[in-house]
Formats: sequence, structure tokens, C-alpha cells
Amino acid sequence: MDVIQTHLLTKSYRDEEAVRALNLSVGQGRITAFIGRNGAGKSTTIKMLLGMVRPTAGEATILGTPISDAERSCEVRRRVAYVAENKPLYRYMTVGQMIRFARSFYGDWSAEIARKLLREYQLPADRKIKSLSKGMRTKLALLLALARRPELLILDEPSEGLDPVGIEHLLQTLVARSAEGVSVFFSSHQIAEVERIADHVCILDKGCLLVDTSLDDLRQSYRRIDLAFSSAPIGEEFRIAGVERIQTDGRHLRVFASRNADIVVERARDLNAISVEVSPVGLRDVFLETVKEN
Amino acid sequence: MLWYKAWLETRSRFLASLCGITAIVVLLVHHLEDVMRPVGLSGARYFVALRRSTGDIFNSGQHLLVAIWMLAVILLGMGGLIRERAAGTSSLTLALPVSRRRLVWVQIAVGVLESIGLGVIPWIAILITLGVGGFPVSFSQAVFYLALLISGGLIYFALAMLTSSLIEGEYTAPAVAFGVAILSAMVCGTVNAIRPYADLWRFMGGDNHFSDGASLLRGPFPWLGAFAALSVAALLLLTSVAVIQRREF
Repeated sequence: MDVIQTHLLTKSYRDEEAVRALNLSVGQGRITAFIGRNGAGKSTTIKMLLGMVRPTAGEATILGTPISDAERSCEVRRRVAYVAENKPLYRYMTVGQMIRFARSFYGDWSAEIARKLLREYQLPADRKIKSLSKGMRTKLALLLALARRPELLILDEPSEGLDPVGIEHLLQTLVARSAEGVSVFFSSHQIAEVERIADHVCILDKGCLLVDTSLDDLRQSYRRIDLAFSSAPIGEEFRIAGVERIQTDGRHLRVFASRNADIVVERARDLNAISVEVSPVGLRDVFLETVKEN
Repeated sequence: MLWYKAWLETRSRFLASLCGITAIVVLLVHHLEDVMRPVGLSGARYFVALRRSTGDIFNSGQHLLVAIWMLAVILLGMGGLIRERAAGTSSLTLALPVSRRRLVWVQIAVGVLESIGLGVIPWIAILITLGVGGFPVSFSQAVFYLALLISGGLIYFALAMLTSSLIEGEYTAPAVAFGVAILSAMVCGTVNAIRPYADLWRFMGGDNHFSDGASLLRGPFPWLGAFAALSVAALLLLTSVAVIQRREF
């Protein structure tokens, strides 16, 4: 079962389409990363899922409930924890007041988790939130999300503002929660973090979903193929299904393929390539190439 | 806990307004006690004159209270989800398992209670000041004035709520609310065709019921006028709830 499913989800602001016909599926119990440049439409998508922004077209469900169902959206929000990009917290409350405030809304609140994280994050309960550092505010926002024991965690840039120790702790926590059956959907610009913990990756650019695949599939199927010829090659010869990008530089040709790398190699041999070098690519390359091509 | 949040958000405005209003009306009443205390009279005539002075002090206190109370309740009506969006916390509030309708109604309820407090406590202070000064106090007259103030004045709180659900700017929203309040008071107070029905200042100040001869509010409480004013306030509040429900954050 998918915890998030969107069908042709679209959001337009006047003449601009922030999200275009998005078809997205987030599987239960998985860690799904949502990556894209600034302004790609990630936050707008998340806000549509949580009912803060109304879609212009299309539909979506979150934990099986249509996002258009305002009556049931409160119940959905009880089962979903969301940490927004700017880690919003009420500045006029203390850490302790903020925890008590959040606790009052969730029957599944775990005082034990809250206490444990309060201790681990070294958050002073009597300190006003306005006097906390950005990193501490991020930790408190995460504490509030995790202590609720949600079925689905939606995190927008969760590691922003955290120190390396905090990031490590966060990543381990997310993996542990996922192992317990919690679904995690997070947006990030930190490709290394995504590669470390994500099961599934969605790349969004200019409101369009460009890549939606498991990280294992991505590692297995995406290839960079560097070719050399005795004379300048015709790039169009390699324009086949799965080829995302072709770069020519004199007698050299670089093909970036999401699949069918073996067909590219075969074609290169047919065209008497002098050298053929196939290299696996990481998520960073996939992201950069995909976004560049778009 | 939503009530607690609404209280925390407004308490500094409420307490500052409460202290300010109470101090101002107490100072005015104290000053008027000196000015209006009958001199050269004794016995029953003195007490009759003293009672009249109390009525005049009540009336003057009410007129001052109307003006500053209106400013204070407009300030109390500021805030809410639109202001939270500017402060960056609306996504936290809207992610709570609570409907937007409930969020706004709690804010309204806390604001209305605080507005009532801003009327009741200064009136208690007026009564105490007069009592300490040896003036006879009339609770029924004080309650009459208070009921006029609150039933008529909640329109200004509702206007502020509506303005703050439409306009995001921290200073723009109260400026617009003050502007609309003053403009409407000028129009309603000067256009003869609508003045008898729509002049809120006269209604809140008790001018329609004040007897110059006795220095007392006379006649029955204007239930119809109070109902009409409260209905307009309710309409404005319902509109602000509807606006927030439709807004995107």
C-alpha cells in the first residue's frame, strides 16, 4: 500500500505552474527522498498533501484519505508528523511549554521518546524558543515529530541547521523508525544523506517528476558511457530509449543513460568506437544530469 | 491547549491595554471627584448632589472608556493565522490535527473574553475609586454602561479580526482597521438619515439614554440595538472564519 499517492496533481500560481501533473507514489515503511532544486515544487507538493494549499487540478491521497476531504484531514494530520523547512516553532513558548502544547493533540504521544530526545539533544526545557540556536530549534522540531509516533513522517530539509553529530543521529533515527514500519518522506539537498538512507528517490524539477525509482535500481541501471572515435561522431546515432543526455567534444562522446546502456555500447562498437568506457554513476550525477537536461 | 496558545499570543497586548485603560480611567475619575464634589451643601441636598456627580462621573468615564477600549480591542483582534504566516509558524499550526474553523473560533473566544475583561475591570476600578472617595456607587448604572460598551463595541473587535484575516502586514492590518472604525464612526455620526440607528459611539456612550436632569441612564436596556450590533459583529466574525478557511498558506 502507498502512504502517499498523487495523480496528475497540479498547482498553478497565476501563469506559473509550481507543480505539473505529478504522479507520485510513496510506499509504506520506506524512506523516500524528494530532491530537487530550490523552487522545484517540493514544498508546494507537501503543502498540498497536508491541505495547506489547494491543488489546481489532479488528486491525491495520504494514508488512503483524499486530500480534498477536509472533514477527515484532521484525522490524517493526527497520524502524520510534518516538519517544515524553516522548523517553525512558537517563539514565545519555552521548550517545555512547546512539548506540552504538542503532546495535548496526540493520543499516541510517547513521553519516553520525548524525554530521551530531550536528554540526547540537550534541550533546556525552561529556555524560550526565541533564544535557541537554529540547530536546537531543528532538534526540538524533530523531537516533536518523533515523539508523536506517527505512521508517516514528512520532513522538509530535516538536517538543515544540524551539526554533523546531529545529522548522524537524525539519519540513524530515521532508519530505525523506518525499520519499525514508519514511512518517511523527506526532501533534501544533501545528496550524500539521501544516498545513505533512502530506499526510493524522486527527483522533481520545475514542477515535473523526472525520476521516480528505487536507489538500488538507480545504481544498477544508470550509466555514464564515454566513447572515443577516429572521427567526429554523430550524437543522434545514440538517441535511443533510456538515453538522457549526449555530449560531444570533438571525437569524444559522452552518453548518460538511465537504461539500455548495453545497447549504447553495442551501437558504439557497430560504429567502430576506439574506446568504450562504462561507469556507474552516483545519485549526485543522476540528479545533476537530469536537472541539466530538463 | 489552543486556548493557552491564544492567551500566550495576546496576553502582553491584553495586560498592557488593561493596565493602561485602568490607570487612565482611575486618574480621570479621581480628578473628576475633586472637580465635581459638591461644596456648600449639607444633609440630604449634599447627598442628592453627590449622587448626581456620580452619574456625571460615570458618564464621563464611559465616554473616555469607549474611545480607548475601541483602540485596545482592535489591537486584540490582530494576529491569527495570517500573522503566523508572516512569522513562519502557520505551517506548524495548520499541521495540528485541528480544523481551521476551530483555530479561528478559539482565537475569537479568547479575544472576546479579553475584550469583556477590558470593560469589566476598568469599571470595577471606577466603582472602587468612587467608593474610596466617598461617592455613592450604583451597580445597576455601571452594569448598564458596561453592557452598552460590550454589546456595541464588539463590532470593533470583529472588524479587527476580519481585517487581520484579509491583510497580512503587521502594521497595515491595524491601520486599516482603525481607519475603517474612525471613518464609519464619522459617517454614522454625521449622516442624519442613519445616525439614530447606526451611531455606535452614541450607543456605547449611553447618550441615547442619558438624562441630563438626573445624570442617570434611563429607560429599558436597548435589547434590539444590542442584538443588531452583536449580529453585525457575528457576521463579521463568520466572514473572517470563512476567509481563513479558504486561504492558502
